[in-house]
Formats: sequence, structure tokens, C-alpha cells
Amino acid sequence: MRRDGGGQSRLLLIILIVTALFLITLDLRGVGLLENARSGTQSALSPFQRAGNVVLTPVKNFFSDLTHLGRTRAQIEKLEADNAKLKAELITRTSADAALNQLKTILDLAGTAGYKIVNARVISQGSSQSFSQTITIDAGTKAGIRKNMTVLSEAGLTGVVKEVYSNSALVSLATDPTFKIGIRVAGTQQIGILSGQGTRSASLQLIDNLSNVKVGDVLLSRGSISNRPFVPGVPVGYVTAVDNSAGSIAQSATVLLYTNFSTLGVVAVVLGAPTMNPGDALVPVKPEPTPIPTVTIFVTPSPTPTE
Amino acid sequence: MTSRQIFTALPMFLAVYVFQEAVVNQFRLPGGGFSLFLIFTLVWAMLSTPEVAALAGFIGGLLMDFSQSSSGPIGQWTLLMIAACYAVAYFGSGNESLSGSPLGFTFFTTAAVLLVEFAYVFTGLLFGLQIGNFGQIAITIFGISTWTLVVTPIVLPIFSRLHAFTFDTRSMI
Repeated sequence: MRRDGGGQSRLLLIILIVTALFLITLDLRGVGLLENARSGTQSALSPFQRAGNVVLTPVKNFFSDLTHLGRTRAQIEKLEADNAKLKAELITRTSADAALNQLKTILDLAGTAGYKIVNARVISQGSSQSFSQTITIDAGTKAGIRKNMTVLSEAGLTGVVKEVYSNSALVSLATDPTFKIGIRVAGTQQIGILSGQGTRSASLQLIDNLSNVKVGDVLLSRGSISNRPFVPGVPVGYVTAVDNSAGSIAQSATVLLYTNFSTLGVVAVVLGAPTMNPGDALVPVKPEPTPIPTVTIFVTPSPTPTE
Repeated sequence: MTSRQIFTALPMFLAVYVFQEAVVNQFRLPGGGFSLFLIFTLVWAMLSTPEVAALAGFIGGLLMDFSQSSSGPIGQWTLLMIAACYAVAYFGSGNESLSGSPLGFTFFTTAAVLLVEFAYVFTGLLFGLQIGNFGQIAITIFGISTWTLVVTPIVLPIFSRLHAFTFDTRSMI
């Protein structure tokens, strides 16, 4: 253990700490210079992030596969069967095809609601050392993106634009613990507030104590004034569990978000929404179970041979 | 720390920072992943005198504050890293169990990362940041610590050599 710290050392330490406290004060007071420094850093880093994204996409896919090893046997068998069927196609396809599919679905989603969108590729995932869940996309102010715009994936809501730079933007994901969105339940039109929980499961708190939700209810974004930060009608998720605790003022529930945040490749930023609310037009269609054919066999016993 | 040493060290800090932002952050690893830059700065501090460590913490913390994924005010990481780097250098230098022991260094780095993350949560709460629920924070801190325990032995020889190159000392592990 070092015990020879002199006055010079303490002076340096005090100067550095005072500088840090000075920076915190300036930032909390909203001095633009510091905000510009953060934007400048991001603008300088975005070409490196783009390059890193291009080079590391195959490696990321490998790690993504590793993180999903906890599947049940039945799922694995089903996926193996699907995999065998699709293998021939996958060999000839590139990652651009996957991005194209995501893009097409997003365009379908946006087209149905009449949203004006701009597409972007995900070029970086935010580090979780600061406990925030973010992604960086390769489009910024030059593409018309501004702060507090809704971000969509092919499945529904992804998040909201938190910071925007000239050629990139930082998106706060719906899984971020600070993320909150006003929602309404498709069909019943009950309203509530959905909060991110750090995972794909989010927490729903209904506002009206007379309202009730049930498992399977679909949640859509309620929309904000001037459509920022949220445009109305975007599918957010569906209820997976309902908490009916007697002590709570209003009902709360657990919600599974539609977007799979671990496979985000292409997203769309909503630049504008139609004046008319799309209502429940974007509610995802539930998959219909395939009927299992039944075969009835009649067996007629053969006559016993007589002597 | 002479100006020559600062000019040698600064590109290294920047290179590791860019590597963290452009490469490491591309992966959404289970449990929150790891911060190579945080490990680098703490290892650098452990191999230095407390004064140099505080300066390294200042530079490292400032760069972490400029990261797009940093949710706190600019200066929060700077303040924490100055204190953390000074502390690790103060307690680490001359510690018999650490000098020449990669295992001891690894555990000491992991403990430092753990404490820094806890301090970040605590100061974040003081600044009014919404960091998430207790369970999620616990999982993230546990994940980052575990990853640090795995990654540190791999990167320690490289970081140690970079430090020795800058200071021309025999402090390599």
C-alpha cells in the first residue's frame, strides 16, 4: 500500500476532481459546448462503427446463436427440421436479403398506417456499462431525422430517437429502464403506461382502476401531441401475465414486446404520420392453427374358414 | 508524467476507446458484456503511481462521458474514474499480493470494476438518473464483473506491455 502521497499529488487530485465537478455542473446547467463535444465524438466514431458493423456481422450472428442455447428439445427439433428445409436457400442468400425482408415488412407496416418513414441500418449496440439500452443507426439529420421520433422494426415499436447527429442517431430501445410509452389496448381502447424493464418483457400499468386486461391483449401506441415522440397505432406488444393483486390501485400486467431486439438489422424512423389515427389497423394477425387431418379406418374381420 | 509520456499514452487510450465503441459494443453479450476501455484504464492505473493514475482516470473518464451510450451528465464518469484510478493505484502499488501476480491483478481489476459500477449506480441515483430496477442492475453488474474476470487475463499482458512501452519501466505482468 502506498503511503508516500505528497502535497503535489493531493493538489493534482483536487484539481482533477474540481474539473470533473465543474463539467458536471456545466452539463446539468445545459451548456451547449459539452453537448456539442458528445455529438462531435459520435460523429467522429460513426465511420468506425459502420466499418465495425460490416466486418463483425458474421461474428455477431455466431454469438447471437450462442445466446439462444436454452431452447427446449422440441423447439430444437422443429428448428432443425426448418433449418434443413431452408439450408439450400440460405447458402445462396446474403445478409442483404435478410435486411431486405426486414425492410419490406417495415414498409408494409408503415404503408398500412400511412407513416412517412426513413430506413436505417443498425450500426452499433450501446454499451450496458451505463445501464442504458440503445442502438446507433446510420441515418441522422441529413436524412430528416430529429430527436423524439418513433423508431419501428418489422414487428412493431423499437424505441425513440434520443440523440441525433449529422449521419447517425442514437435510439433508446423500448427495453431501456427509462423508456415509458402511453398505450391503448386494441379493441377495448383502455389506456395505460408501459415501462421498459431491461429485457423484452415490459411492465404495463393501467390508468383507470375499473379497466381490465387479459392475457393475449394487444397493445398499441396511443400517440403523442404532434406525433412526437410516438405516433399512434404502432403495435407494441401483447399481455403475457396479469397481476390482480388486491392492494393495487389499478391493474398491472407483464407485456412481451413484439420486437426481437437481439436481431435488429434494419429499422425505420417515422418522420411523419397521417392526420387520421390508424386505429387498430396494425394489430398483428394471430397465426391460425393448421388443422390436423384425421383418417378413420374401418376393419372388417374376415370370415372364419369352415372345415 | 512527462508530456512525452502523455503524447504516447493518449493515442493508446484513444485506440482502445475506438475499439470499444466500434467493435466491442457491436456485440450484445449475455449479462451486459464488458467494457474493455474500463479494464484498460483501471489496469493502466494499477501499474502507475497515484498521480499518473488520477490523470489516466481523468482522460479515461472524460472519454467514457463522451460515449453515446453514457446516460449520465458529462463529468460523472470523469469524477468516478479519477477516484477509482487513484484508489487502485494507491492500494495496488507496492501490494505484495499483486506485484507479479496476474491472478491477483485479475481479481483486483474485477473488484475495481464492480465497485466502479456500484458507484456509478449510486451517483446516478444522486443525479436523478433512471437506471432500472434492482434485479436488472444486479444482473448487469454481475455480468460485467464475470466478463471482466474472463477478459482481464487475456488482455493484461497487452495492456501491461503498452504501459511499459510508455513509461519504459519494468512493471510488466
